Amino acid sequence: MNERLLLGRSIETGSWVHKLDARSKITGMLLYLAIILLSHSWAAMGLLAVFSVAVMLSTRIPLKYFIKSAKPLRFLMLFIFIVQMLSVKEGEAWLTLGSFSLYEGGLRLGAFSVIRMLFLVTFTSLLTFTTTPGKLNQGLEGILSPFKKLGLKPDRLTMMIGLALRFIPTILDESQIILKAQASRGADLKELPLKEKGRMLVSLLVPVITSAFRRAQDLVYSMEARGFRMDAPRTRYHRLRWGTADTLFVVMFIIMGVAVAVL
Amino acid sequence: MKETNIVNETGDAVISLEGVAFGYDPEHPILHNITLSVPRGQWVSIVGPNGCGKSTLVKLLNALLPKSAGEIVVCGQPLEEETIGSIRGSIGMVFQNPDNQFVGATVEEDILFGLEGLCLSYDEMDERLKLYTEKLGISHLLSKHPGELSGGQKQRVAIASILAMKPGIVIFDEASSMLDEGSRNELLVILQGMRDEGYTILMITHDADEILASDRVLALHGGSLAADLTPEELFRDQELLARCHLREPYPWQLARELQRLGIRTDVPASEKELIDTLWPYNYSK
Amino acid sequence: MAIQLQQVSYTYADRSLWRQTALHDINLSIAQGSMVGIAGATGSGKSTLLQLFNGILKPSQGTVQVLDVTIQAGEKAPRLLPLRRRVGLVFQFPEQQMFEETVEKDLIFGPLNFGMSPEEAKARARQAMTDMGLDLELLERNPFRLSGGQMRKAAIASVLAMDPEIIVLDEPTATLDPLSRAELIGLLERLCREQGRTIIIVTHRMDELLPYADHWALLKEGGLMFQGSGLALAQDPDILERCGLSVPQSLRYWHAVARRFGLEGEQPCLTADSLAERIALLQAEGMRDSHE
Repeated sequence: MNERLLLGRSIETGSWVHKLDARSKITGMLLYLAIILLSHSWAAMGLLAVFSVAVMLSTRIPLKYFIKSAKPLRFLMLFIFIVQMLSVKEGEAWLTLGSFSLYEGGLRLGAFSVIRMLFLVTFTSLLTFTTTPGKLNQGLEGILSPFKKLGLKPDRLTMMIGLALRFIPTILDESQIILKAQASRGADLKELPLKEKGRMLVSLLVPVITSAFRRAQDLVYSMEARGFRMDAPRTRYHRLRWGTADTLFVVMFIIMGVAVAVL
Repeated sequence: MKETNIVNETGDAVISLEGVAFGYDPEHPILHNITLSVPRGQWVSIVGPNGCGKSTLVKLLNALLPKSAGEIVVCGQPLEEETIGSIRGSIGMVFQNPDNQFVGATVEEDILFGLEGLCLSYDEMDERLKLYTEKLGISHLLSKHPGELSGGQKQRVAIASILAMKPGIVIFDEASSMLDEGSRNELLVILQGMRDEGYTILMITHDADEILASDRVLALHGGSLAADLTPEELFRDQELLARCHLREPYPWQLARELQRLGIRTDVPASEKELIDTLWPYNYSK
Repeated sequence: MAIQLQQVSYTYADRSLWRQTALHDINLSIAQGSMVGIAGATGSGKSTLLQLFNGILKPSQGTVQVLDVTIQAGEKAPRLLPLRRRVGLVFQFPEQQMFEETVEKDLIFGPLNFGMSPEEAKARARQAMTDMGLDLELLERNPFRLSGGQMRKAAIASVLAMDPEIIVLDEPTATLDPLSRAELIGLLERLCREQGRTIIIVTHRMDELLPYADHWALLKEGGLMFQGSGLALAQDPDILERCGLSVPQSLRYWHAVARRFGLEGEQPCLTADSLAERIALLQAEGMRDSHE
């Protein structure tokens, strides 16, 4: 439950990262993705680790929150590690059991994949932790605004994302209750044979979907009653302001990228 | 308050309906031939059994639903395609489910949602944000996600979001029915404050205390206006109460039962008053 | 005893970020065949408590004994399916869990899951409809075409159709109109008195349940503040305020009359008509006394 609640939740500490323009943070994250893909040596990984932890610490958000955000993916990471380890047969064999050998290259690549994934997930949660969903959306809208000329409507897209982020936790909570209610009527997914599980799924999905539609209807009323019209002009309370710190933030990532590419 | 658009000018109608109907099937309309007018500053309770069309009626006023016949005039403007925007600006609505009307991901975003749509300047938004969150006692909750708030707090946010848009009319569509008792009492205090500030209030409710606090009751039944009376008149009319699925407040029930047993008494204001009227002599047994 | 909780605590595994109410050190007994009210302010742990009654939640500490099943913290729970049939749990807004295309199919969903034959399940469904005061013609209807009040009663009937010995309801009257609320409480009381089922109702509208409940449990911030008879509660209504609840008017009026005439030991009159009659009797006695 904790993991899903971290979705779209900001943790306010007022650090310098919190104050940055959302656009620079999104740009930074995209660059970070490139940096991860460019890192191919232990030295690069090491430098990246120092850099990532330093930036995370500077947000004044406890490190354990970042680690928690990667927790749901732990089995996936383990799986990737094992697959990489077993499939790559490079370098010297470290361990041989009959016809089966573990190679140094396999272990290294396995470890790299896991570290990359860990970096990616923990560090990108920095974006959601330090930026409220509204500002994040606004930043996204800003970054996408050049595409307006191509007929794309970034404000519609971000409105959709915003509402989805707002309602996903509510709907998940409700699904929990419906799951419990049906379990109380004897439809406990855990205790039933597979054949019955399909039918039980219907008993969960129909109420959840019906309720989502009802919520959507209520939401439309509430938005329209407050004068909302699609594509009508709006002003913004929080304006996007690109400052020196933002430029520095992005430059920092570019330097990192060059550094790991060289290492 | 320095608002100029909610000055109390008793007498002139801010809402008037003439022969209004709604329904997709003309044979079985959901509402038919509704004619009424509400003067500025009045607090009106709208009552009736489930499915009588109360919620439909209020949604016609700002064209959330399209009327099928009749005339609606809000703040002097007839409701037409071109006036919908301006009429929605003068009517605020608070709905039943506190969760489903929370548009923003935080309290601040939810209040700003309406203000940004009004295309206000930063300073104006900032001022209203501060003023109305303070008024509703939610300024400490600005960065909270709706999941962290109680139902009562969410309804306060909904009210702040709406009042910040400065409507003269506020409609409550069963806004208290999902709240616990404490939050219902708090809502009643907020409503009384709004009445004093001159807002016109339309409130769909089953709650006897809310009805009693209002100035006027419109009872709907089977899609038409069954009665237009004061709360006191409603609570004296047993037949109408039953038709509207309502009960009078407890002191009224008690006074009625006492009268049935031949004990003359007015509706007591408190338990102490009842004891003092029934047993004026301070004898002890 | 139908339900007995001994030193029960419940802690959510993850309450660091979300507002969750845990329960601590609850000792509660609920007698078989009684009508019990559970009240407490928002966030007092009422809903958490209910979910311990049919094993949806398991205690973090202590022992929960329901009928002849014992669930002990730290030990492997027994098979809970049979218990869930015997303890019907009705969540808040139960109409939202209906999913079949007819009311009848929804009503037999529970009974079939618990292994009843289709004939038996259908017979139970009809009985449950009658018990909930619903017309049998509605069985063929689509549940989404019922009125709000009917849908609520049908959803309760879908739990009642399992023929549970204990029925636990979380805010069953929320959002209903006053007449439907009174009617529903009346129907639940009949299930208790006429069929001997144990009825447990969580409510924050104490006034509607006060005249009928045999026993009350009051919660505050996850702890049990009070448990006892309606009479004990009527003798000390201030306890409600200490739990963050307001004292219902019916109780305030009774308490004032009882104090004036020293009737605190009597069974409280918590409806307008019973109190009016008691007052009339007092007046008649007063009249007679003054004539003597």
